[in-house]
Amino acid sequence: MRATVLRTQTTAAARRPGRLILTGLAILVASFVVFGTVLVQQITERTVRDNLSGTPAITDLVIGRPGVPPPTVTDVRQVRAVPGVAEAVARVAIGVSIGEGYLNLQSDPGSGPLTTVRVTEGSYPDQPGEIAITPRTAERLGLSVGTTTSGTAGELTTPAPLRVTGMVETGADAGYDAYAPDSAVIAWARLTAVERVDLRVTPGTSTEAVRQRVTAAVAGQPIRSGAEVREAEAQAAAEQVGKLFVLVGVFVSIAVVAAALVVTSTFRIVFAQRMRQLALLRAVGASRGTLVAALTAEGALTGLVAGVVGVASALTLGYALPAILRATGHAVSSPGLPVAAAVAVVIGAVVITVLAVLAPALSAARVSPLEALRAASTTAGRRGIGVLRLVFGLLLAVGAILAAVGTISQLPKPEQADYDPTMPLLLLVGSGALAFFALVALGPLLVRPVLAVVGWPLRQLGPLGRMSVGGIGGTPRRAAAVSVVVALGVTLISGVVIGGASLQILADREMALSAPSDFEVNSNGGTLPPAVVSRVEAAHGALARVVPYRMVDDARLLRGADKLGDVESGYPTSDLDVAKLPSTGALDVAQGTLTDRGPGRIVLNSWVARDAGLRAGDTVTLALGARRVDVRVAAVLPGDGPLHAGILADPADLDRLGVPAAYTGVLADAAGAGEDGRTAGVRALRQAIGGSEGVGLAVLADDRDRNDALVRTLVWIAVGLVGLTVLIAVVGVGSTTALSVVERVRESGLLRAIGLSRSGLRTMLTVESGLYGVIGATIGLVLGVPYAWLAVQTLGIEAPLTAPLLPLAGLFVALVVLTALAGVLPARRASRVSPVVALGVEG
Amino acid sequence: MTTHAPPETSHAAVAAVDLVKVYGSGGTAVRALDGVSVGFGRAGFTAIMGSSGSGKSTLMHCLAGLDTATSGRVLLGGTELTGQSDRTLTRVRRERIGFVFQSFNLLPQLTAAQNITLPLDLAGRQPDAELLAHLVRVLGLGDRLKHRPSELSGGQQQRVALARALVARPEVVFADEPTGNLDSRSGAEVLTILRDSVRDLGQTVVMVTHDPIAAAYADRVVLLADGRVAGEIDKPDQVSVTDALRDLAARR
Repeated sequence: MRATVLRTQTTAAARRPGRLILTGLAILVASFVVFGTVLVQQITERTVRDNLSGTPAITDLVIGRPGVPPPTVTDVRQVRAVPGVAEAVARVAIGVSIGEGYLNLQSDPGSGPLTTVRVTEGSYPDQPGEIAITPRTAERLGLSVGTTTSGTAGELTTPAPLRVTGMVETGADAGYDAYAPDSAVIAWARLTAVERVDLRVTPGTSTEAVRQRVTAAVAGQPIRSGAEVREAEAQAAAEQVGKLFVLVGVFVSIAVVAAALVVTSTFRIVFAQRMRQLALLRAVGASRGTLVAALTAEGALTGLVAGVVGVASALTLGYALPAILRATGHAVSSPGLPVAAAVAVVIGAVVITVLAVLAPALSAARVSPLEALRAASTTAGRRGIGVLRLVFGLLLAVGAILAAVGTISQLPKPEQADYDPTMPLLLLVGSGALAFFALVALGPLLVRPVLAVVGWPLRQLGPLGRMSVGGIGGTPRRAAAVSVVVALGVTLISGVVIGGASLQILADREMALSAPSDFEVNSNGGTLPPAVVSRVEAAHGALARVVPYRMVDDARLLRGADKLGDVESGYPTSDLDVAKLPSTGALDVAQGTLTDRGPGRIVLNSWVARDAGLRAGDTVTLALGARRVDVRVAAVLPGDGPLHAGILADPADLDRLGVPAAYTGVLADAAGAGEDGRTAGVRALRQAIGGSEGVGLAVLADDRDRNDALVRTLVWIAVGLVGLTVLIAVVGVGSTTALSVVERVRESGLLRAIGLSRSGLRTMLTVESGLYGVIGATIGLVLGVPYAWLAVQTLGIEAPLTAPLLPLAGLFVALVVLTALAGVLPARRASRVSPVVALGVEG
Repeated sequence: MTTHAPPETSHAAVAAVDLVKVYGSGGTAVRALDGVSVGFGRAGFTAIMGSSGSGKSTLMHCLAGLDTATSGRVLLGGTELTGQSDRTLTRVRRERIGFVFQSFNLLPQLTAAQNITLPLDLAGRQPDAELLAHLVRVLGLGDRLKHRPSELSGGQQQRVALARALVARPEVVFADEPTGNLDSRSGAEVLTILRDSVRDLGQTVVMVTHDPIAAAYADRVVLLADGRVAGEIDKPDQVSVTDALRDLAARR
């Protein structure tokens, strides 16, 4: 009996491979994603290794390693004298301060197998005091071949001349890179030690013999082979990749949970279609256990097929994509063939599918044998949920609320210094997980109230809208199962969107303070020659918004004769007019208002306010040396002040305190947009500075760009990962619609018979499919927005609460459109079936 | 038994002229209808009878615009149905035809009341409140309107289906074995209601059945065999129908 029943179920499944794939589509996608992630990790690791611009591959031996006393210059000479050493290159990098800014001077032979640079213009330096630079460095620092500047480094405290003899290309161009042969660097900077020495052995000589001779020559220095060093560098790089993929793994696991939920719901539908057949088997004597075993076996078969197809398609794509990318000139390596991982993914797919199928199989096997004798179309799905499930769901919901309340009670208080976000963050994650499973349990009860609200406009549109809403409302369990997965995706995405927006605001605020303009001309502690300031102000063509400012480092705050605060030296104080710069003009405040500025008013950053114990509205005495001015605190900033100023004061008050009229710095924005505008601005400022001693130029815009790019990249990566869950949700809606169309073919036939047109039926089914998206996205936003806000607060980064309405509305619409599109194909298929055929189908 | 006269197609509510329906092609082709000409008069209750495979269901499907014939014509109140587009046929079914099926075919997610007004909803029309109240009273559905099909007995479900077919005042109601899934008492109720709708509301009803008891409720029986009209009985009763069917079986 057991074998026979098993055969009836599995052969039916095997005879319709299309149906099998449709049932397991979510598992297929999940297997694809999981194995795809494994392959992408391999591709990334291999690409990182293969394109590592570290130690040249030809290096045989490396002397010295971080953490031990470095090889001395004498060691380098002795190593070169060892027989069998073809070439020995000392590697060292030193920071050089030059008038134009900062240079990272690195030693490199410039030619031969051990070089890492390529000369593109001029000649490679060979004398001390000669350097070659990268193109971006030339542009940023205003240097070119033939220019002479001077700088200090390390032991070299009096400026020594540096002449640019050539331009070189390197793997990474940071914009402050200079190169020279090791001998020139050592001689110019008067170095006594280097970081390490790379050796190349004369061809035909035993590396081991050379190694022993070198060990004897430089006693005590660690020696590693070139391969060893490269391996260590690759490991370090791969470790970074590995850390990133741990994070990816978290999101992939969420996607797998979503897939399990989707496949549970699809099996429920598939088994509901077979209720009569199962009842018949029960009627002729099959036991419940037999039915459960047969249905579970079918689930295992589905999981196996889905897993194999998913892994195979990931493998195909994983090999095809790098090949295509390489053909178009990208350096991307192919993955290996991780057989163990592939087998594990397939087994995982089978296990998860079997777990997912258990609940539907158990409830399907509970069918009464009498069901076989009943008229077909009267068996409607159960509408409510059992008492056990209700109690369980309510318990979960209460747990989620308690955990959320716990999180709120642990949120950082204002001014709280030692806040540890670990505990509240864990509570919040726990609360989110509990809320999600509560949603899974109580979903069928939520569908109808949510539908009553979101379905209202549809019902007004006429019979088709009413039918669609009725179709969903009539099967709340199915609607809940699919919508919950959509809700999970929307919750995650809305969290990322809100978190990203908060992070962006935080980064903007941070940047407005540390990089309030594109450029800063700074006197490094002194004052700017007035001619420089007037030349900068005259450069209208290239510069916009030139804002000079004064800064003193030692202003004190007094009440009566008592100094406020614990700081010995006083607070950095500036008269920068924040209203003149768009970035600082939009600063938000913790207390008071920025409009209340002027003589006799000061603005404090949060740290100074805390240190001095002042609040907005307090009056206090600002003192510099022996002079004093009485002022009132107009506002307190939520964090640091612009240019890291502790106090912002009015220029008139600084005058009264006896601060000299000469400016200490100038902020300016580029007049033109993009890289060209920035370069023009840099040129104009260099001309304005001329040869003034001690005056430096900083391109703050470069920092800002790097920061913006980082935030954007992070948000996009997060959206991409969360997108996996949304993909599974959409697949779930598509397969649910497809299966429910099959299940309801008689219903479709009846509607066609009594006068529903083809396009009407198509519209109705597509709208139903879109409604899953509407319900899911509504629940998702209702849950996601508060949780995201709570999460931002929990991180304790003082980010404001934001509701980026446009992206959230876009997300809602996109989800609804995607889920509606998922229903288009099944709806088309249903509308093509002739009503006579549809009515003739045994239901 | 009377000899069958040429059908009065022009006055009939619905009529078939030389209707041929072929399923499949080549050697496996089956002629389900082989030149059927028959008319169904207004305000008449006609039963179509025949053995399995006689073509009675196919004839009904073609008459109702559910299926298209291979050749020949179908006229619904003078309107040519043959060769019409799916869109036109859909509108005809929605506005001029009512259906009652053997397996009730109610939508499980709608209440009884919603099921009854479904065709009118689809057409965007308001139900005739008076007629609706009359039908609900006659069919005894007053306390069942808020129930869903799964909460109704078979007889109640079929009465809901009857109300759905009648409420739009269609030109013809087609009933396909309407008593096939019912016990004899519920079946008798349904047939009485169909006959009363003809008498009281002037409804035209065409019913496919193989049950002589059901056929006895009709004014007229059309017999089909091998895709052709094999005879007619006016004012049938159970005995005459059973005899006619026996004759038909003996002739084959």
